[in-house]
Amino acid sequence: MTKIGTSIPRPDAHDKVTGAALYPADLIREGMLHAKAVFAHRPSARILRIDASTALAMPGVRAVLTAADVPYNRFGLIETDQPLLCEDRVRFSGDRVALVVAQTPEAAAAGASAVKVEYEDLPVLTDPRDALEPDVPRVHEDRSNVLLHQKIRKGDVDAAFASADVVIEGEFSTGWQEHAYLQPDAGIAYWDEQERLVLETAGQWLHEDRRQIAAMFEMPEERVVIRYAKIGGAFGGREDLSLPPLVALAAWKLKVPVAMQWSREESIVGHHKRHPFFITSKWAAKRDGTILAAQTRLVADGGAYASTSAEVLKCATIFATGPYEIANVATDGIVCYTNNVPSGAFRGFGAPQAHFAAESMVTRLAHALGLDPVDVRRKNLYREGSIESTGLPLPAGVGAREVFERCLEEAREVLPVPLHNGAVSPLRRGIGIACGIKNVGYSFGFPEQATATVELEVTPVSIRSANVRIGTADVGQGAHLVLRQIAAEALDLDLERVRMITDDSSEAPNAGSASASRMTLMGGRAVKDACDQARRQWLAGEEPSATVQYRPPRTTPLDLETGEGTPNYCYGYVAQAAEVEVDVRTGLVRVVRVVSVHDVGRAINRRQVEGQIEGCLAQAIGFALTENFICRDGKVLTPYLSTYLLPTALDMPEIHPVIVEGADPNGPYGARGMAEMALVPFAGAVAAAVHDATGAWVSDLPMTPERVLHAIKESTKNRLVTPAMSS
Amino acid sequence: MDSAIPELATAGTLPSAAPAAASILGPGEVQIELEVNGERHELSVEPRVTLLDALRERLKLTGTKKGCDQGTCGACTVLVNDRAIDSCLTLAVMHVGDRITTIEGLASGEQLHPMQAAFVEHDGFQCGYCTPGQVLSAVALVREGRMTGDDAIREQMSGNICRCGAYENILAAVRDGARRMA
Repeated sequence: MTKIGTSIPRPDAHDKVTGAALYPADLIREGMLHAKAVFAHRPSARILRIDASTALAMPGVRAVLTAADVPYNRFGLIETDQPLLCEDRVRFSGDRVALVVAQTPEAAAAGASAVKVEYEDLPVLTDPRDALEPDVPRVHEDRSNVLLHQKIRKGDVDAAFASADVVIEGEFSTGWQEHAYLQPDAGIAYWDEQERLVLETAGQWLHEDRRQIAAMFEMPEERVVIRYAKIGGAFGGREDLSLPPLVALAAWKLKVPVAMQWSREESIVGHHKRHPFFITSKWAAKRDGTILAAQTRLVADGGAYASTSAEVLKCATIFATGPYEIANVATDGIVCYTNNVPSGAFRGFGAPQAHFAAESMVTRLAHALGLDPVDVRRKNLYREGSIESTGLPLPAGVGAREVFERCLEEAREVLPVPLHNGAVSPLRRGIGIACGIKNVGYSFGFPEQATATVELEVTPVSIRSANVRIGTADVGQGAHLVLRQIAAEALDLDLERVRMITDDSSEAPNAGSASASRMTLMGGRAVKDACDQARRQWLAGEEPSATVQYRPPRTTPLDLETGEGTPNYCYGYVAQAAEVEVDVRTGLVRVVRVVSVHDVGRAINRRQVEGQIEGCLAQAIGFALTENFICRDGKVLTPYLSTYLLPTALDMPEIHPVIVEGADPNGPYGARGMAEMALVPFAGAVAAAVHDATGAWVSDLPMTPERVLHAIKESTKNRLVTPAMSS
Repeated sequence: MDSAIPELATAGTLPSAAPAAASILGPGEVQIELEVNGERHELSVEPRVTLLDALRERLKLTGTKKGCDQGTCGACTVLVNDRAIDSCLTLAVMHVGDRITTIEGLASGEQLHPMQAAFVEHDGFQCGYCTPGQVLSAVALVREGRMTGDDAIREQMSGNICRCGAYENILAAVRDGARRMA
């Protein structure tokens, strides 16, 4: 066992430090045409007329394409409710109404400005809570504004509330979050000599991109080829198709190579975000700290199109009770269409929003009971065999308690006892803890599989080398190296003798998306099984190659009314302790230190695992504190990185990543997914730390200085009025 | 590219009528000579062309990345007379006679620059898109003698955003790269 567990450097490191690595915009060549989208820039309107005559007369403009040019003008990961180019209706400000194709980027941009669109503005629906009212306008005329209402009913919450020693209530909100992958959307498309439509771009799932694009152009999937260049980050943001089908449309229609790239503001306005949530909670406990009941209502803003909203919502609904076994649960998860920017996948996929409320409630419950939040967690945390709120036992390998205890040990070592007892300094320090659970892989009965092909080059006595074919996106997380390490281990080969074929939908089989923390477990298992089978066949004197589809244990859809079902086949577990410093004059919160403990099953590449923990924490700091995405009346007011503040090197705390290895029964060498986990409990830990430092609870994310200051003022006022312990 | 979506620049208002094409296209091209990575290049650019676009689109030096095109992310960092600047915030025509170094010009043949080697050694990246800018900012930081400790590195590298959040490893790489450059 030498290839597994070691921190082998990335094979593309040299190209990345020399500038040789080619990202999608680096593929643009002389002679290609350039495409530019005409954005609606209004959230809700009827399109009365599109006049392209001025644009078409401009120098260099070759074509102006509209909805009529798209054979099947609908796409979407789950529901096909989004038009590639709008027909008669605009539903959000980032909707595209036309595509201009020209000889230069400048001519395309000038042409796009000259396309005249006549609109009739329509009422705008921007609050998902309003979307539930009976008389509001429909975002999609043919369907309800309620995309999904998922319930969970376990036990009897009302009886529990009546018998409990303490009942507390809370209200929370979380904001949109922009992926801000540093490489803005770009791609090239052309027809190759085999009359295939080729799209070279960045994404998270080659074969799903191919499926959706082939459907739009009514082509057999084999005649569409998706190739990924180097991918400059994704974080869920490249799961939905944004720019790629637009450039594909231009090439498909005009039969010439076409290039396209979005500016930062086009990317921010044009692609989906993390869902904002409004959450109301009512929890009850016994005097000894046993949590008796949790009642939660979560309303999420799905924006104009379905994207992955239904799945995100279901995840948030099952995680409304965090990693705790609670006898009586009533959860209502509701996601609605609005005329805001669409919401979809973003690292954590509903779990960070639900955990922010749940973890805040657990700490507040402890305070209301006069107990240590550590003890209340210890009493209620999931253990092996615990029953989920959905009614059935958790998948085997429950690490919730192990990561929590380890986190406490580490925190005792590295976090000092903070001084916050009304000291004269305006800088107050506090510590908060929180726990988290997040699914690894697809949930709720969605067909989950990964396929890999392994071809061995052999002599009569040894395996010389291997080709590993597996269609997977390396978005920077290092998936290709991890899969190569697994193959090298399984075949006992040097890493250099394993050749990876990963980035072409026509050359590598479908391994599913690089998302849901699934690729190490799912892709890794497919690679390992294919290696094992190819090797067995070689030993038996048969063809030394094999294609294996790995399918994990079955999951099921949840019953809509009760939530009963088997939502997931694997979970990751995390516990965190955060130390913050709050400037009580300005409300500015700085994270000083973080201990983040993860059950990763088995660290295939330890340095990459630590890198994922640290990187995920950077985004968690943005989610909790700095990234304030503003969409007002359906208009995005933060379309630049100057107004939407990403964490920099200065914002990073001292991080103590801790890896626990409790083997997953299905994962390759015991590995399970981990790349999203650090985002899950973090905002809850920070909220508890801010409370520890100041006595104030902040219930809205991000915790901007204004919100923190307001919360401090309110809490001081309340303390003066009611000296008794409040919730 | 950005000039075509003026609506975004004034978020909160509705788009005005499309501007005439002539006002967008601006004055014609001028001949200039740029010295990039020790080589002189003759090129013809409109005065409004940024150094970033001239490098990427005319000289095909695509190692310099465009992340925001307005000086907020640092991906386009290059060295001009050994100082690190955002190449998206300056015009190509302003750099006639300057010594420009891009990421492609940092290594000596196959031999990586010590800072590049340190980034490889410490895994100072994930997706790699910000890396050319990070490496060049780090080189300038050391060459200008501003490398006085970890706080200085954090402060002076804070103009280079790494959305993957590899800051911990970048810090280690810069620390080690500075030692190797000494």
